[in-house]
Amino acid sequence: MTLDFAILLRFEHALLLGLWTTIKLTVICIALGCSLGFLVGLARTSRNLALRTISGIYVEFFRGTPVLIQLFWIFFCLPLILGVELSNLASGVIALTLYMGAITSETFRASLKSIGHEQMDACVALGLSRNVRIVNVVLPQAVLRAIPTLLSNCVSLFKESALVSAVGMADLMFVGQNISNNTARPVEVLTVVALIYFAIAFPLTRAVSLIEGRILKKLAI
Amino acid sequence: MNYTFDFNAVSISPLLQGLWVSLELTAAANVIGVVLGFVLALLIMSNYRMIRLPFMLFVELFRCTPAIVQIVWIFYCVPMIFDVFLDPITMGVLALGLNLMAFNAEAYRAAIQAVPREQLDAGIALGLSPLQRILYIVFPTAFRASIPVLLTNGIVIFQQSALVAIVAIQDLMYQGKTLATETYRPIETFTVVALIYFAVSFPITQIVGLLERRRQLLSS
Repeated sequence: MTLDFAILLRFEHALLLGLWTTIKLTVICIALGCSLGFLVGLARTSRNLALRTISGIYVEFFRGTPVLIQLFWIFFCLPLILGVELSNLASGVIALTLYMGAITSETFRASLKSIGHEQMDACVALGLSRNVRIVNVVLPQAVLRAIPTLLSNCVSLFKESALVSAVGMADLMFVGQNISNNTARPVEVLTVVALIYFAIAFPLTRAVSLIEGRILKKLAI
Repeated sequence: MNYTFDFNAVSISPLLQGLWVSLELTAAANVIGVVLGFVLALLIMSNYRMIRLPFMLFVELFRCTPAIVQIVWIFYCVPMIFDVFLDPITMGVLALGLNLMAFNAEAYRAAIQAVPREQLDAGIALGLSPLQRILYIVFPTAFRASIPVLLTNGIVIFQQSALVAIVAIQDLMYQGKTLATETYRPIETFTVVALIYFAVSFPITQIVGLLERRRQLLSS
C-alpha cells in the first residue's frame, strides 16, 4: 500500500476546528472539575456523616463505571429526566466535569490528608475561623502538593475527551473519523490524529515529572 | 418530571452475554499486560540505548494518546498495514492488551528500581545467571510490590473495554446500546449497564484499598 499524507493538508482547517473543540472542552472541564473536586475532597474528609456518604457514593460511582457509559447516560437520559433540551457542548461539559470532579477529589483528599494535624491545632490556637483556615492554610498547601497528580488528571481528562466523538460531538477524534471514512485513508488520517493527541499529552506528562522532581523539592513540602 | 420507569423492559440475558464478552476481553488483556508488561519494563530499563529508545517510544505512545484512538487505529489500520484479517475479539484483545502493557510496564519499572541492590549482588555471588536473577529475584519482588497498581490498571482496562462497543464488538456496552434503541428505554437500560460495570469494579477497588492500607500499616 502507498501512503499519501499530503491528503491531510486539504482537511487542515477541519482538523484544527476539531482540535479547538477538544481543547475548549478540556479547559472548561478542568476549571469546573478541579473546583468541584476540591469541594468534594473537603466533603469526604468532613465530620458530617451525610456529607461524607453522599460524596463517597458520587466518587466511587464515577470512578467505578466507564466514562463512555457516563457520557451516554448524560446525553440520553439527563434531558429525559430534566425535561429540557441540552446542547451537545453542555452535555459534554456536564459529563466530563463530573468525571474530573470525581478523580480530582481523590487527589485533593490525599493531599489534604498530608497536611499535619499540628497545623489545624495552630489555627485553632490562633483563633482563625473555619473559612480563613480553609482558604489561607489548607487550600494553598493542598493545591501545591496536589499539582503533579492534578496535571496527570488533566492529561487523563484530555484523553477521555476523545469519547465525546461517540455521542456525535465534533471534536478532533470525530473529525478524524469522518475524514478517514470519506477519504478511505484511515492509516494516514488516524495516525495524524493520534500524533496530534500525543503532541499535546506527552509534553504535559514530562512536565509532571519535572514539577515533581524540581519545583516541589525546592519548596520543600 | 412525569416519566414512568419500567425496568421490566430491560431484558437481562443479552446484558449478561455482553458482560461475559467484556470479562473475557479484560482477562485476556490482563494476561498480556501482566506478563509482557514485565518484559517491556525490562526492555525500557535496558542499558543499551538502541533497545531502550524504541520501547520507551512505544510506552509513551500508548500512555499519551486516547484509548479510543488506539482501538479505532488498530481496527482500521492494522489490517491495512500488515495485510492480516483477525476476528474482532482478537483485535479487541490486542488493542486493550497493548494499552495495558504500556501502563503496567511503568508500574513494574518503579517496582524493579526498588529491588534492593544487595539482593542482586547476592544473586551474583550465588552464581545465578542473569535470567535466573530476573526470574527468581527481580520478578517475585517486583510483582508483589506492584500488585495494587496492577489491579488498578486491570480494572481500568475493564472500564476501557467498553470502548470496543464503538467498533461493534458485542460487549456489555454494545448490548446496552442495542437494547436502549430497541426498547426506547435509555434511562433504565443505561442505568442497569452502569450498575453492572460498577458491581464488578467496586469490589476490586475496595480490595486494592485494603491492600494499600495493610501495606502502610506494615511499613510504619
